[in-house]
Amino acid sequence: MISAYYFGAISLILIGLYAVLVKKNILKILIGLSIMETGVNLLLISIGYVSGRSAPILSEGIGPLQAVDPIPQALVLTAIVIGVATTAMALSVAIILYEKYGTLNIEEIRRLRG
Amino acid sequence: MNELLLIVFSPLIAGVIAWVIRIRGVREGIGILGALIPLLGLIKAYPSLDHGIKATITVGGFEIGFLLSHMSWVFSMIAVVVGFSATLGMVTTARDNYEWLFALMSLTGVLGVFLAQDLVTFFISWEIMTFASFMMVFKFNRQASLKYFLLSIIGAYAMLIAIGVIYAKTGSFAFSEISAFFRKDAMMAMLGGQPAFSRFDTALVYLLFLVAFGVKAGMFPLHVWAPDAYSETDQSYTAMFSGVLSKAGVYGFILLYILMYGKLMVSLGQFRGAPLFGYIIAFLGGLTIMVGGVLAALQEDIRKLFAYSSISQLGYILVGLGIGTSLGIEAAIYHAISHALFKGLFFLIVATLIYRTGKTEFKDFGGLAEKMPYTFAMAFIAILSLAGIPPLVGFASKWLIFEAVISQNLPILGGMVFFGSAIGFVYLIRFTYAVWFGQRPSDIENTKDAPLPLAIAMGILGALNVIFGIAPGIVARELNKLFNSQVIGGNIWELDLGFGRYNALLVTIWLVIGLLIAAILYFLGASVRKVPVTDTYQSGNPVTMDYNLTIRRNFFLPLKEAVEFWLRISFDKLYRDVWKSIEDFAETARNYIYNGNVQAYAWYLAIILLILAIMGV
Repeated sequence: MISAYYFGAISLILIGLYAVLVKKNILKILIGLSIMETGVNLLLISIGYVSGRSAPILSEGIGPLQAVDPIPQALVLTAIVIGVATTAMALSVAIILYEKYGTLNIEEIRRLRG
Repeated sequence: MNELLLIVFSPLIAGVIAWVIRIRGVREGIGILGALIPLLGLIKAYPSLDHGIKATITVGGFEIGFLLSHMSWVFSMIAVVVGFSATLGMVTTARDNYEWLFALMSLTGVLGVFLAQDLVTFFISWEIMTFASFMMVFKFNRQASLKYFLLSIIGAYAMLIAIGVIYAKTGSFAFSEISAFFRKDAMMAMLGGQPAFSRFDTALVYLLFLVAFGVKAGMFPLHVWAPDAYSETDQSYTAMFSGVLSKAGVYGFILLYILMYGKLMVSLGQFRGAPLFGYIIAFLGGLTIMVGGVLAALQEDIRKLFAYSSISQLGYILVGLGIGTSLGIEAAIYHAISHALFKGLFFLIVATLIYRTGKTEFKDFGGLAEKMPYTFAMAFIAILSLAGIPPLVGFASKWLIFEAVISQNLPILGGMVFFGSAIGFVYLIRFTYAVWFGQRPSDIENTKDAPLPLAIAMGILGALNVIFGIAPGIVARELNKLFNSQVIGGNIWELDLGFGRYNALLVTIWLVIGLLIAAILYFLGASVRKVPVTDTYQSGNPVTMDYNLTIRRNFFLPLKEAVEFWLRISFDKLYRDVWKSIEDFAETARNYIYNGNVQAYAWYLAIILLILAIMGV
């Protein structure tokens, strides 16, 4: 039986992918990208999870053997920052596109671009 | 420095020096020296041929080896004699250093091909030769050079694959080891064992070599590059291009025989009493003769006429090789020698004509025999030699090929060969009459005779045409050494095959007597009257321009109409169509796949990921 975490994370990725592949509105595509990114982050975190252990912060009674894997957490921290940066940039591109073409539909933009 | 290396590399070194030194006069001297050293070296090496002379150099881990045997000596002599004459001609016609460099580089390449003792050397020299000749054409006409390059590349890849297959199975590049391996393999196959080369492998290697050598030899249907490449370059260089470089293909076929004759015979079986693989070569050679001959007759440009004629004559060599008996191979090599001699002479004559008049089409020529008597005499020798009139070398070699075909009872090939000879007359009579006789157009009224370097070059080749024609035994004796037996008997004046003989000296004597009688009759009392050309043709009637078939214009229009249906089947056009459709297909595919739609690209990514996931990567 596949774990609910994996199932949920992969479902999020697929939903995001669906939006990227099929939707025509740029904002919806960007939303799809964000959802995908969230799904990836969740997947990474859930890979590092070991059932019954606590957060990897060394303190009273919690040694390296009682904590979950810390590497995916560091990875995800980086990925979140990158994700936010790319989303911000994509959004600014979307604003410029709207100013230039007056529409957010990508097929319309392609047609106008010629 | 070893003398063999000196022979091979001195043209290249001279070419580079001539390229660097831009002083007129000095560069010509160096160029001629570069072509002369191999000639002298080969003559000097002749007495020690029986031991074989070897030389090796190591370049980047590869042994590059050269070996001078009887066979390679004969071919190298063709190369250096015609190459030297062509170099002399270039003194007049070459326009800059570029031509000197690449003309001499191609001479090095072709010498390397003839003297190679292993497949690596053979291939590298082959490519040097192709590259240099490509550069020569490239300077004059990009379209023609591109066609030449493309077909040469196809041939080179075919050869490379074949060499790869051979190396993978035999583990050796050296000719001697490969040959021994194939002989053992053929024995094994005959005794019912498991040979290293299956039937399929053997046929594959054979077909790849057929393409590789066929391209260079101008074999039908791979001949399409030759008419353009031969006509669109310095015509003095074409003497070497058509006379010598095409022989590399012929030498390649001989090499194929040396390496794997027995194996091919055992694996591919027989057809009409001849080995099948040889019959294919001979049959394609026969088609080459016919196609080249007919197309030569229909050309309006002298350069094109001789380019097609060169293809046609190469066909004879392939027929002789394809028959594959020792007589057939000797006849083919003999014809390779005579083809180099008379075709080299022809292209030097064309170079002279173009240099002196600046014209290339038949309609602009006429009546030059009085203005250029020396060149005309040389042209006369070349015409008689190509057409195969007895006391010249062209007759001896063609006769040997006819005899070889007839003695093997091959009626279809025989018909093709005879047809080719007839069509040879058809196009030569036009060259003879349209350029040298008849009325002279007023703008070439003041044409001078050939410049000295070209005259000397033509003189060398013309004299050899006559000498080898009157004494055909000189060549035959040399060729007999290749097989170590008396294939062509007789003395130096006479060729004796056992079932037929040709005494050149006798023919010459009778010919001279006949000419003397004719001359006496002429001077005693022939009444001579000058007739304008138009009168003999039109019989006094006016002729409309669109059906004006004088010898200078559309002379063979009726022939063209007769073969019109066959002319529509053009391989040149076929290749162009194939090329065009590949281009179209690529263009459509590109537009369809790279459509500029980001979502489409995302789909490609998703699909690829899915495929990878299914494959379990």
